[in-house]
Amino acid sequence: MEKNYILFPNYSQGLKLESFLNDNNIKYVISPTPRKLSTCCGISIMYNKKDEDDIKAIIKNNSVEIKGLYTLE
Amino acid sequence: MGDYREMWKNLNMDLEKHDILCEALPESFGDIYLTQKNRPDAMNYFNYTLAEIHGARIEEIKHEKDNGKKVVGTFCVFVPDEVIYATDAISVGLCSGSQFWIEDGEKVLPRNLCPLVKAFVGAKTSRTCPYFQSCDMIVGETTCDGKKKAYEIVEEYMPVHVMELPQMKREKNFVEWQDEIKIFIKRMEELTGNKVTVENLKKGIDLSNRKRRALKRLYDLRKNIPSPISGLDALLVSQVAFMDDPERFIENTNKLCDELEKRVNDLKASGKKRIMITGTPMAIPNWKLHSIVEGLDAEVVVEETCTGTRYFENEVPDEGDTIDDLVKNMAERYMNINCACFTPNEGRMDDIVKYAEEYDIDGVIYYNLSFCHTYAIEYKKVEKALKEKNIPLLNIDTDYSEEDTGQIKTRVEAFMEMI
Repeated sequence: MEKNYILFPNYSQGLKLESFLNDNNIKYVISPTPRKLSTCCGISIMYNKKDEDDIKAIIKNNSVEIKGLYTLE
Repeated sequence: MGDYREMWKNLNMDLEKHDILCEALPESFGDIYLTQKNRPDAMNYFNYTLAEIHGARIEEIKHEKDNGKKVVGTFCVFVPDEVIYATDAISVGLCSGSQFWIEDGEKVLPRNLCPLVKAFVGAKTSRTCPYFQSCDMIVGETTCDGKKKAYEIVEEYMPVHVMELPQMKREKNFVEWQDEIKIFIKRMEELTGNKVTVENLKKGIDLSNRKRRALKRLYDLRKNIPSPISGLDALLVSQVAFMDDPERFIENTNKLCDELEKRVNDLKASGKKRIMITGTPMAIPNWKLHSIVEGLDAEVVVEETCTGTRYFENEVPDEGDTIDDLVKNMAERYMNINCACFTPNEGRMDDIVKYAEEYDIDGVIYYNLSFCHTYAIEYKKVEKALKEKNIPLLNIDTDYSEEDTGQIKTRVEAFMEMI
């Protein structure tokens, strides 16, 4: 099954996005970053594809720094 | 996500070896935890702490150290956090729950020793545990021969203070434990330069009690049928309790409980068997037995272990006008933990029977880490106590390896059918 992840340059940006997702009632799961996406330890955020456009807008409007949005099969 | 390699390098860690551990965690946590259905949203906090357990938390501790705080590593629920908090130091649990550390542990310890002790020593000697590497001192205790002697090896690497825990519960033993706490206070004062006062010790007692209360609240919620949280998730909360900042842990555990309280009203009977696990502790990332049990049609609803009820049951009263009064209160609370290191230890049988009733248990699994003699021997007493109450019991003796997972699964499956 397809899984979608947002990766961050540091955990504080991840927590920043988390609080905006909560404010906007968007479901997400905090996950350890899969090794396939990065060799750095720490958090990433898993999200549902249907929310992607809303999440992108939140990221842009609130200047959340991310490393990127990724999909794993 | 962050790049912590520079921080780990400064902690004198073996980066190459540590990377093998980092590689394994996302997959195993993903497979075991993130595949669970209908998890509480508030578990995201605990996902975060787990994902950042060698990252953000270590960075935070480093920051506190830079501001002059001392870090003390502990390995047992008998070490009084109250004293550590009173001296404004940080208390952290130590790495000990993975097969990853066994090989290095066995280089300096005999193979026929409990995996918890081998992993603990291996984590230090291999320089792959950032908690160990951040500690100014380790506080040990004499709860078992394995740990007691292992501290002599760890002492070659870093300062260690060992507390002598009496092994009986006579009046004189309570007094002896008070003395040990006083010696520990002195050692913490020397380490931190901060004097223990009635005021700061009461604050330490209050913080420890609030932490116990949050965990007790979580466990009480698991008494609902069905439980509003999986055993795996509850275990993760208990495990994180040993590593996390206590105030933040209390806040987030209470948030989780708020969510679970709301869930309770909407839950429908699942028909899952309700299981108690009793025995030896499960340190991060030891989720082996819980994942086997909950992979079947069952839920773990209570753990009578040191990463369960023994950690939070009973509070320390804060009545008293002197340090002696408070030390006495602490000694009474700690000496009433029913660890198998005591002889006799009838209180543990009473606890197990009481929990079986309170949590409406269908069956009990006795979890024994291989070569833990005190718990292995005490099985007979537990078996007798549960037989008298007609409560089914299964004995599982295992270590951290995955070799026996299939075999354990078959045995647990047969047990579920029987009950």
